[in-house]
Amino acid sequence: MTHGHLWDRLAEAKSRLEPVQSKYRVIYENPEDLDAPAAVMCPDPNWMACALAGGVLPAVDTYLRDRDVPDGQPKEHPYAATIGPMSEEEAIEYLVLKDCPRSVVEYKGNRTILKIVPIEMIPTDRSFRNAWRIAQ
Amino acid sequence: MSTLVTANVSDGTTTVGTEYVVNGSAKAWVNFFGGDPFAVRNSFNASSISDNGVGDYLTNYVNSFSAADYACSTAAYSTSRGNAMSWPSNASSSVNRIYNDAGVVIDSAVVQATSHGDLA
Repeated sequence: MTHGHLWDRLAEAKSRLEPVQSKYRVIYENPEDLDAPAAVMCPDPNWMACALAGGVLPAVDTYLRDRDVPDGQPKEHPYAATIGPMSEEEAIEYLVLKDCPRSVVEYKGNRTILKIVPIEMIPTDRSFRNAWRIAQ
Repeated sequence: MSTLVTANVSDGTTTVGTEYVVNGSAKAWVNFFGGDPFAVRNSFNASSISDNGVGDYLTNYVNSFSAADYACSTAAYSTSRGNAMSWPSNASSSVNRIYNDAGVVIDSAVVQATSHGDLA
């Protein structure tokens, strides 16, 4: 059974799904660069619509395996079977595994270096943006 | 002159909607607010964007490129003159960075980025 190409499914999904702005943001620090400011990750609203609808995105495992595939070699995720609908919380967890640096996801230390927070918790004053850290 | 009307174009393996041929297409694009709020306005083939600090952003793709040799470009709207730059971070994400005339990174009210290349 063919599932088509992911890019084609995204194009079809964009034509029929309304974008969904997530109420969450993911904050993370790079354990390999302690001086770097905390990063804020924002889920894409069209991607979130696909995640909530189901039938468009592949399993996140396919992305994790593709990380080890050398450039230019065939990757699994564009042709993998699609998965069903996710809740918004499940979609955020998927996104953490897919888009956060591996060093963040696999961190085993004592510091809190990743948090999923409501948008309201992101500071609106960016005067000291490069000093943002996750409170311990 | 005659007009060929069709919904899709296919080479036998890959099918694409004719609107992409007529309108042209980037493999990924995103338009986002780069300050407060930090949020995506519209996009295609982006899974998330990251604000890594002042004027320093990362775009992650849903369908990655085959290799980190694709072409990406960024434009930005800001209150001062400057430069917008981007480059592939790897096959699945690209860096978007905004500078003022003095070469200092600055936040941009709106950032637009497009990427062209071979998909995975």
